[in-house]
Amino acid sequence: MAPLELLLELTLMPLVAFLVGMMMVLMMRRIAARIQRRVGPPLFQPLYDIVKLHSKQTQVSHGLIHDIGIVMAMGGYIAAETLLPVPGMNGIAEKGGIITLLYLMMIPSLGLALGVGQCANPNGSIGIARALTAMLAYDIPLVIVIFGVAYAAGTTNLVDIIAQQQAGGFATWGAVQMPLLAVAGLIAMHASLGKQPFEIYIAPAEIATGPMVEMSGKHLGGLFVMQCFQLYTISVLYVSLFLGGGSTWFDFLLKSFLVLAIPASIAYLFPRYRTEDLLRLMWKWPVMLGLIGVAFVL
Amino acid sequence: MTLTLLDELLLFSGATLLVALFIGRGLAAGWMVTILYGGQLLTLLKMAALGYGGGIIASSLSFTVMGQNLSWRFDALSWFFALITLGSALLSSWFACGAWERSYAKQGGNIWLFHLAMALNVLSMLILLASGDLLSLFIGWELVSWAGFLLMALAGGVATQAAMRYITYAMAGGMAIFGGLALVYSSSGSLQLDAVLIAVESMSTTKLWLLVILFGGGFGVKMGLLPFHLWQAPAYAETPGPGSAFLGAISSRMGLFAILLVLVKLFGIVNIDSLKIPFTLIDARDLLAWIAVFTIIFPTFTAMKQNDARHLLAWHGIGQGGYMLLGVVVADAMGGAGGLLHVFNHATYQAALFMAVTAVIHRTGTADLNKLGGLVVRMPLSFMVLLIGIIGLAGLPPMNGFVSKWLVYRSLLNEGMPLLFLAAVIGTLGTILSVYKLIHNIFLGQLRVEHEQVKEAPWSMMAPMLILAAIIFITGLFPGIPLAWVASVQEVVGLPATDYTLGGVESVSGSLDMIWVIGVLFAGFGIGAVIFYSAGRSKRVHQLDNYAGGHFLSADVRYQYSDNFYAGLMHLVGGWYRGSFLWLEKSVISLIDFLSLVMQGLYRRANAEFYLLSTALFVMAWVVI
Repeated sequence: MAPLELLLELTLMPLVAFLVGMMMVLMMRRIAARIQRRVGPPLFQPLYDIVKLHSKQTQVSHGLIHDIGIVMAMGGYIAAETLLPVPGMNGIAEKGGIITLLYLMMIPSLGLALGVGQCANPNGSIGIARALTAMLAYDIPLVIVIFGVAYAAGTTNLVDIIAQQQAGGFATWGAVQMPLLAVAGLIAMHASLGKQPFEIYIAPAEIATGPMVEMSGKHLGGLFVMQCFQLYTISVLYVSLFLGGGSTWFDFLLKSFLVLAIPASIAYLFPRYRTEDLLRLMWKWPVMLGLIGVAFVL
Repeated sequence: MTLTLLDELLLFSGATLLVALFIGRGLAAGWMVTILYGGQLLTLLKMAALGYGGGIIASSLSFTVMGQNLSWRFDALSWFFALITLGSALLSSWFACGAWERSYAKQGGNIWLFHLAMALNVLSMLILLASGDLLSLFIGWELVSWAGFLLMALAGGVATQAAMRYITYAMAGGMAIFGGLALVYSSSGSLQLDAVLIAVESMSTTKLWLLVILFGGGFGVKMGLLPFHLWQAPAYAETPGPGSAFLGAISSRMGLFAILLVLVKLFGIVNIDSLKIPFTLIDARDLLAWIAVFTIIFPTFTAMKQNDARHLLAWHGIGQGGYMLLGVVVADAMGGAGGLLHVFNHATYQAALFMAVTAVIHRTGTADLNKLGGLVVRMPLSFMVLLIGIIGLAGLPPMNGFVSKWLVYRSLLNEGMPLLFLAAVIGTLGTILSVYKLIHNIFLGQLRVEHEQVKEAPWSMMAPMLILAAIIFITGLFPGIPLAWVASVQEVVGLPATDYTLGGVESVSGSLDMIWVIGVLFAGFGIGAVIFYSAGRSKRVHQLDNYAGGHFLSADVRYQYSDNFYAGLMHLVGGWYRGSFLWLEKSVISLIDFLSLVMQGLYRRANAEFYLLSTALFVMAWVVI
């Protein structure tokens, strides 16, 4: 591949991710609004929010690590997008693979954790402790699912995994071949979004929004950007693993938005779990489904 | 007689020991010893051809005892481990020189004994690594065990207790190895590697089983494999700072070296794989793999509960040993490479982490995770080193720990071992939780009033820490550098060699190129920084300018969230910490107590007729059978 073409892909992939991610935030807010019988925000509201937060007059920083944490939170996802193939663009997906992507997605969380730590607010620290516990909860079913998919495909290369699914049309989709893994993956994916009923680390009534408690202005804006990337990454990863990726952009976006609409529609109907209940739930049902699914694959 | 390079190295190491012994009380003795370690490392680098698969360098020293020829030689395996040993010795000793030495002496520590113990450890490790037959292996093994005891017992008090516990385990392990040697000798008539290699082929399954258990158990004690792991964490943690950096980096890997030499090279993974456990679906190799993953999981989650930074790290040291054994036991090209590479990577970040914690102790006087906090503004460089170290330990990109763990994961995936894979990932997730607690409780959160005037660690301590941090990053960026050595080790011990590139590995089932991954990651950080810093200027508030629950917090109110850090998690899993291994250890101790009481009772009776009768019975039974 020509270096210039690769550079273009590496620039375009995060940019697309950001734009689509903003629309995904909008979709989630619209769905929440409809469920609560409101109208919901207008089309450009996510963009307005980001611009507003970044241009606030009063910007409070608790120190260098607070700033660097936010930079890591955004930068980690920007890098992760180049490992996630989209129609027509593979970026450096073949040089990393799915395990690398999974671990690269932990870098933003680490950055956030460091940034919050320096704020020296006990609510923030408790929030991070809970967020890491939640990660321990949902990553266990998630890695079982990823093991199953990668073993069935015989490769950790996402480009190949997508190509294999597209080879035989609908019948070779991951979700058709491995329905149990697809269900387990959907539950783990919902938990990893950090939305209700799994938002133990935000919990406004208990720990005053946890990690966000000392964030304002561009720090909060950075987290907003991070959330756009997070929604995009998780839903596109699911589409790549189970729904055959996207052969065209229309196909790709439709699937990504639909996948995200499932947890979004469920989320706002439920109250929050307690931490230990989240762990119990995650370690029981999706793990069980995932292990049975893997047994079928082996 | 001309001296080979190996002779030079061993003599150099012996000279270091003599310098530490005779002029170790003088001024600048620490610096002198450090320079001599540097000299040893240079001599080792002259043998660098070994690390790239260049044959064997023998020592001129060899003699025959009771028909057994004892010899010493270096090959790629020895060279790789010796490189890590000397590297960590040099940096730990450097770290100890100057400021640390002075404060250690002021607290009543004996700095002469410290340098002596370090030099003795290095020499005995080199002798062990050079062993050319099973008898010299045993001699080296015992030397390493006793030298380790000397270093561990230095601090007195709790440390001596921990060291006594260690030496009890080590002696039991030594007995097991000795029993294994006797068994090997009885069937092959020789302890030379070539002779044993031939004898193994015609060994019965029972004998091979017995040998795997004796050698695996004996060497496993040193590695801290379950259930022989209890001694390790307190023993390493209570050693004086630089000593624990050295021990944590390399000491227990001597067990892995011996396992590689005896179980993998001599017995062969194929032979171990053929040992089935009756009535189950698993064989000896699976057993080893499961021991490895339990060694990953249990100590990692024990580490999470520790409230002393040194103990937390030492427990992780045990857990990371599990990844190495797991990779080696899976034994395909990627698994073997991952396990061996992890030895190198672990040494780099474990030494850096212990040093950073020692630097904090040097400045604040405590490693208690509930008595620190907020030090990032006071000790930014130590924070950076600790951060780089924990990213390596947790196995996240862009540090070197990621590459070795990635290789282990990939091998488990290729071989289709979902439960082992899952267990390995659970270990990593547990590590992430535990290391965040470490960095948060020391460097983030509220700064205590008494630490407001704390200064950054002195340069004599900072320099080796920064060098280690640089190694951790560079070998993460270019894993091909250590992978070249690892590939030759794999060839020497008879494992398939991995197909490596400068940036990682090449494979049809998914490659890894760290240069690209890290390049993109830093480009991402760059874009993030541009977005962040191009927005409005932020006002930097004081670290203690804070509020919670609607109240302004001030420095005199302690609100650092540190104790029972993962309260929600512990609510669920807390009850699972039963201390079963502690219980096992105690029951073995009381069994031995009971037996000794019985023996003592028999002895005290001094009943001549009873002894005569029992001896006669024994002899009769022996004659009849």
